[in-house]
Amino acid sequence: MNLTRKTQEIIRDNMSMEDLLPTKMPVYVNSFAYIFGVITLSALGFVILTGIILAAFGPQWYHFSNAGHFVNSLHFWGVQIFFAGLISHLITKFFMAAWRDGRWKTWALGIIAFGISVFEAYTGYLSQTNWDSQWISVQAKDAMNALGIGGFFNALDTAQTLTLHVIVIPVILIIFVAIHLLVVRSDGPVKPISDKKDMKSER
Amino acid sequence: MSKKTDQYFKGIPMKPYDLIKEGLIVFVAITILVFILAIIFSSPDYPPVKAKEIATYEPVAYLQTFADILQGKSEISNYGPPYDYDKENEQNIFGIAPASILGVTIPINAINDFVIGPLSHLAVIDKNVSKALEEFKDASPQQRTLWIDAYANALNSAKVVSGQVQVSNGDYGPVSVMMNGLLELGKSGLLDASIQSGETPYSFYTLNFTKPLLLFQGKIYHSVARSLDMLGEDWGISNETGNYPGAWWLWPYTFWYQIPPFSTSPNGDLEVGLIMIALFLVLLFLPFIPVLNKIPRWTKIYKTIWRDWYKNKN
Repeated sequence: MNLTRKTQEIIRDNMSMEDLLPTKMPVYVNSFAYIFGVITLSALGFVILTGIILAAFGPQWYHFSNAGHFVNSLHFWGVQIFFAGLISHLITKFFMAAWRDGRWKTWALGIIAFGISVFEAYTGYLSQTNWDSQWISVQAKDAMNALGIGGFFNALDTAQTLTLHVIVIPVILIIFVAIHLLVVRSDGPVKPISDKKDMKSER
Repeated sequence: MSKKTDQYFKGIPMKPYDLIKEGLIVFVAITILVFILAIIFSSPDYPPVKAKEIATYEPVAYLQTFADILQGKSEISNYGPPYDYDKENEQNIFGIAPASILGVTIPINAINDFVIGPLSHLAVIDKNVSKALEEFKDASPQQRTLWIDAYANALNSAKVVSGQVQVSNGDYGPVSVMMNGLLELGKSGLLDASIQSGETPYSFYTLNFTKPLLLFQGKIYHSVARSLDMLGEDWGISNETGNYPGAWWLWPYTFWYQIPPFSTSPNGDLEVGLIMIALFLVLLFLPFIPVLNKIPRWTKIYKTIWRDWYKNKN
C-alpha cells in the first residue's frame, strides 16, 4: 500500500480547497447563530496574541508597568469575550441539534475544547501572582485533592500552573480547535431540521 | 467541493461567501470592543497578602495561626493526602478516596515546616530563639502540650501594645520566646522566604509557593476573602476582586456549593467534582442520549435560527 497515495485519496474525498476556504455557502447559513463560532475563534486569536506579549515580559511585568497592566486588561477582557462567544456558540449549536448527519464528532471535539478552555482559564487565574491567585489556589486545591488530581497537579505551585497556562494547555487547546475546525469545514454546515421523518438523523 | 460535501449539499441553493473577509471583520470588531472595555474598566490586580502585613496589622491572628499549628488544630495539620498520611479528613464516597490513589506526593509536616524550620533560620542570628528552640525540642511531648495550650489560651485575651503582643503571665516555657521570634520574623518580611527555602541547591530558584500559601489559608485568608465577598457561600472561586465579572463560566460548578447537602457535606468537594465530571460526560455524549437529544426539536428554537430558510421553503 502506498501511504502517500492513500493520504491523498483521504484528503481528496474529505476536503477540497473550496471546503477549507469556502467562497460559497448553502443559503440556510444566514442567521445570527453562525457568528458565535467566529467570535470565539477571533477572541481566542486575540487572547493568544496578548498572552504572547504577557509571557514575553514575564509574570511580574503587568504589576509594575502601565503598559503591562493595559495588556493584561486586554487579555482579561479578551477572555471574557472568548467565553461569551464560546458559550453562545455551544447553546446555539445545541438548539440547532448541530450533531445531526454524522456531526457528533464535531460536537464532541467542541465540548472537549470547551473543557480544556475552562482549565486554561483556571490556570490563568492561578498564574496572576496576586491575591486572586492566592485565594483561588487555596480554595481550588481542595477539589483537586479530593478528586486525586492534586497528587500530580499542584494548584499552589506557581511554576507548574504558569508553564501549563502559557504553553502546555494552549498547545493542546489549539490542536483540538484546529481538528474541530477541519472537521467543520470537511463536513460543511448541517442542514436545517426538517420534518418528523428526519428524527432518525438525530445523531 | 469534495465528494462528501458535493453529495450532502446536492439540490441546496448556494450563495456567495468570503470566509477570510468575515473572519477579519469579526476580529477587528472584537479588537475594538476589547480595547474599549480595557480602557474603561481596566482589570483587577489586588496585591498578594504577605506574612509581613499579617504580622504587622493582625499580630494576634498571626500568632493564633502558629498556636493552632502547634496544637494540631490548623486546617493543614491533619489534611490527609497529598500532604500527609492522616485519613481522618480524607474525602471519600462509598469508602473510596481518590486522594489516596497517588498518596502523599507533597509531604508537609506543619510543625517542622511552619514553626521549627523558620525559627531554626532565626536561631542563627538570635541566641534567645536558639536557646528556646533547644528547650522546646528537648522537652517531653506532654510538657510541650502544657506550654502550648497555656499560651494559646492566653492569646485569646492578648493585648497589642505598640505592635507587640502582650499575654498575661503564665508558664509558657520557651513557647513565648518562639512566638515572639515568629512575629518578628513575620514583621521583617522574611517569614515567607524562610518557609519556602529548601535544603537542595535548586531551591534557590523555587517558584513553588505551596507552603507559604498553606500557612495562612485558614482564618487569615478567609478574613480577607470575607471582606472582598469571595467566600465559598459568595460563589467562591468564580468571583474576582472588585466589580469584575470573574470566572462566570464556573457558575454551574460553584452553584452546587450553595445548596445542601453539598454546602455542609464533609465530602462536598469530591461530590461536586464527581457531579461536574458526570455533567461533562452528559454534554459530551449528548447526541446519543435519548430525550436530551430531542430537546432542540421540541423547543423549536431552530425555527427562529433558520427562519429565512423555512419562510422561503414555504
